[in-house]
Amino acid sequence: MYAQFFGAYLLSQGAITPEQLTDAIKALSDARIKLGTLAIHHGLMTASEVEEVCFLQTREDKKFGEIAVDRGYLTVAQVEELLETQTPDFLLLGQSLVDLNILDNASLEDLLIDYQNTTEICNMEDETDQDSDELIERFFKYANYPITKPAATYLRLLFNNLIRFIGPDYTPLSPVISDEVAIDFCVTQEMSGSSNFVASIDMSQDSAIDFASRYAKMDFVDFDEYVQASMEDFLNLHNGLFAVNMSNEYSVELDLAPPYVEQGSVLRLPPVSYVIPVIFPFGTINLIITIMEENEE
Amino acid sequence: MSLSNVSILVCDDSILARKQLKDVISSFSQEITIKEAANGQEAVDLYKQINPDLIFLDIVMPVKDGISAVQEIIDYDSDAEIIIVSSTGTQTQLKNAIEAGARDFIQKPFSDAQVNKVLKNHLGEE
Repeated sequence: MYAQFFGAYLLSQGAITPEQLTDAIKALSDARIKLGTLAIHHGLMTASEVEEVCFLQTREDKKFGEIAVDRGYLTVAQVEELLETQTPDFLLLGQSLVDLNILDNASLEDLLIDYQNTTEICNMEDETDQDSDELIERFFKYANYPITKPAATYLRLLFNNLIRFIGPDYTPLSPVISDEVAIDFCVTQEMSGSSNFVASIDMSQDSAIDFASRYAKMDFVDFDEYVQASMEDFLNLHNGLFAVNMSNEYSVELDLAPPYVEQGSVLRLPPVSYVIPVIFPFGTINLIITIMEENEE
Repeated sequence: MSLSNVSILVCDDSILARKQLKDVISSFSQEITIKEAANGQEAVDLYKQINPDLIFLDIVMPVKDGISAVQEIIDYDSDAEIIIVSSTGTQTQLKNAIEAGARDFIQKPFSDAQVNKVLKNHLGEE
């Protein structure tokens, strides 16, 4: 989840505004990673060298890699290696921010280094559950909210399930603790046991159509009962998997209630409830999570 | 083998989950008659009407949950072939479902192959 939380990190550092982040994520589907950004990320070129090659590209009818080799910044083998590199998603977000002139390459380079140092990323492909939990705890710390272990575990699975069932191209914005939230089209499911969980997922009907199309792998055009069912299924599936994990790992049994829908009203939330906006290119969804600890037996 | 006399009851409160299951069953054989129920009570009522050869049954549903529905169907017909299809496959729920009389369990999200395997086991090769 390093990729998804890079945007939240940029916000926490004041490097960009939420509006700029939203614009960059919307532009993500058009963004193609550039060799220069990859070269910076791999420490093969500096930002100023990349800027120089980009400038030369406006004068010479050559590809970035060819000019970089001509200038001695990269070898042919390095260019080929970079072209074969799998693109980390957070680099795409960085690229998008540069393309929109929100960040320049030098700032992006500094921020990438800081982010990797802060999150102690060693190997992007080797992220453990503990890494993800720490990422989420840090995400809440930036927002000055403490987060409990069950909440972090719940959210880790939720963010992973968003990647698995909807797509990796999202960025969560800073969480807020709230006692009420205005909703558009909201699906809620309650789980009861030694801890009580209430989870809602709220979005516009337009966003729901895209969300459902991704989840069900079907092309929905209208907001219909299948779209609504897709939202309910996603939440039910996620909570079901969470219940299985809690049962297997902690011997905690949770009972799920059927999901229900509320529309166009204000939800009153019990303490402590987190509202986490998550931006996808198709729109923003709100995750609303309430966790009530340890019921008295 | 002709499956023209075979009927299957698909019970899930999600219209999407019912469609996904129906699509896999139809791909397996277009001869099979498929009926739908949206909660446990509907499944029990429909079972008594049509005596299907196989039931796919969700657990978390409104009105009547899947485990209660399994118990009522087994009380009515101890030979009922009930397959639980659910995202909440905890050990306790598996135990409850099997003790109530369910024959098998498929964890959501299910693959076509998992459903096909169950169909082959219970109906034979198509």
